[in-house]
Amino acid sequence: MVIQYLAQIVNSGLALGAVYGLMAIGFALIFNSSRLINFAQGELLLIGGLTLHSLTQALHLPPLAALAAAAIFGYLLGHALYASTLGVSINASPLRQLMLTVAASLCWQGVAIVVWGKNPVMLPQLLPLPPVRLGLVFLSQDTLTALVLALASVFFLSAFLSSTRTGRAIRAVSMNPVAARLQGIRPGQCHALSFALAGVLAAMAAMAVGPQTMLRYDMGLGLGLKGFVAATIGGYASVPRVFLGGVALGLAEAALVLLLSGELKETVTYILLIGLLVLAPGKQETAHPA
Amino acid sequence: MTLAITKGARNALVFFAILATVGFFLPDYRLLVVNQHLFLALNVLALNFCLGLGGQISLAQGGMAGIGAYASVIAHSHFPQASVIVVPVVVLAAFGFAAAVSRPMERLGEGFLAMATLGVSLIFTNVVLTMGEVTGGSAGLMVDSRLYVPGLGELSGDRTFFFLFLSVMACGCWMFAALKDSRPGRALLACKDDPLAASSCGIDRAALRSLSFGLGGAVSAMAGVLHAHYGGFINPEQFSLELSLKALLFLVIGGPGNLVRPLAAVMILETVMSGMQFLGEARTLAHGLLLTAALLAGYWRSIRPIPMLTIAARSVAPGRKPM
Repeated sequence: MVIQYLAQIVNSGLALGAVYGLMAIGFALIFNSSRLINFAQGELLLIGGLTLHSLTQALHLPPLAALAAAAIFGYLLGHALYASTLGVSINASPLRQLMLTVAASLCWQGVAIVVWGKNPVMLPQLLPLPPVRLGLVFLSQDTLTALVLALASVFFLSAFLSSTRTGRAIRAVSMNPVAARLQGIRPGQCHALSFALAGVLAAMAAMAVGPQTMLRYDMGLGLGLKGFVAATIGGYASVPRVFLGGVALGLAEAALVLLLSGELKETVTYILLIGLLVLAPGKQETAHPA
Repeated sequence: MTLAITKGARNALVFFAILATVGFFLPDYRLLVVNQHLFLALNVLALNFCLGLGGQISLAQGGMAGIGAYASVIAHSHFPQASVIVVPVVVLAAFGFAAAVSRPMERLGEGFLAMATLGVSLIFTNVVLTMGEVTGGSAGLMVDSRLYVPGLGELSGDRTFFFLFLSVMACGCWMFAALKDSRPGRALLACKDDPLAASSCGIDRAALRSLSFGLGGAVSAMAGVLHAHYGGFINPEQFSLELSLKALLFLVIGGPGNLVRPLAAVMILETVMSGMQFLGEARTLAHGLLLTAALLAGYWRSIRPIPMLTIAARSVAPGRKPM
């Protein structure tokens, strides 16, 4: 009985945790490179997922084509977000930049309402993988797909950031934009690229979350916040650790849902967030992008 | 000393005079909408204490207004007609709560503080939802009691509440201006400019900022109290994150630290936005675009401090073809 409960927690926790982890990595990428907290992160997922839904309605997409379409669209979406927020206000006060992302999230929510309506939309499972039983742990189709998508993203992103020239440039900008600039790196391009990568990750997260819960115009902010909590748990510094933060959050939430009620789960999550923010040392922002 | 009226005071007087005139001549049913805007404007003013004076971003305004509303309604259901005692106690309690909350969060950076205070707002909403027996949960709570002032009787009606909102706002504005001009106010401004330098000059940063944060919480709670007894019905939706985010948006549009400009921005932009009802489903998009435009307009004005007219005049000088 208890073991069944635990298996259930692991299954739904991993499915959610993979999504939170992807959101958290996108969040951390943007935050590290431009010290901007992106309130429109959830809308990247929302618009990506909804567009993918329309695509699957119009065409019959094989899995790989769906993956490629999601990635390309997410990439473009990230660039569009950059161009409409940080790109036009690179010298503005951080507060104004923050508020521009809030306004952008409102705009994109508006686009979602106008184009796709207010009813929730179910994204079909585009990467059907067989369910797996590992001893006592049972991973359903959705969970396995989410995990595979997330782990592959983490792997490719880590490889990109550590072993390509462009990836290293992004990391250099997040360490010290001024010094990076002196080495001939354009910080603006790196900021844009980090937004675009966050868009790709959000599109992957949309593919993972779409079949689990429906896509609705007002889901963005909540998911974005979960991404932030997860990034805070993971500590922003490394991609795998941020992802593990997301998985930890997903597992904790799944456990809390089964033990307590749904609303209490949210309360505990945010108390956890505040506690972490207040107690964690050295989390103060010092430098702003030049 | 002669009575010198500064520019800021004159602007504030003009602003309140216009609003009071509007309140006298607008028909009752239209005041309903204006009162909603005034509620938001009070929250913007409250946020101005935190952000304009203390330099601390806060997304807890919605939660603080909600705490004021729920506390007042629940207290009134136990002690009807005790408004004279209940309201000050609620506002003072909100002050204490906000000050206490601000204390440990004081050292967080801008974005992290935003997220932490946002967490406070969300915790409030979820606590209200969880404690359904006391708060009515998501279904909300009917407000049977009215605010009672001895000598005046029960307060009700759109126009009465319009002037109540307005007088609370005037009091808040006076407090803001007085605080800004005092020693603690100048210390707060110093903290805003450079927290490290300020604390090395012997300023107790955490204490001062908890004062400004607490005042912000108190003003929001007062706004919540008025809103609850005016509307006759409260639910967690009214005090959701949207309220906090909107307050912050309007404050940034008007410029934190300015007294009248954010309030005027609220009244004008909100009136425009409530006039957009005819757009139907496209409303959210239009609101987003309008707010983006307002934010960018403020930014472009700030990077071009010289009036654009002179530049434009030079570029169309004789012999040069205008674009």
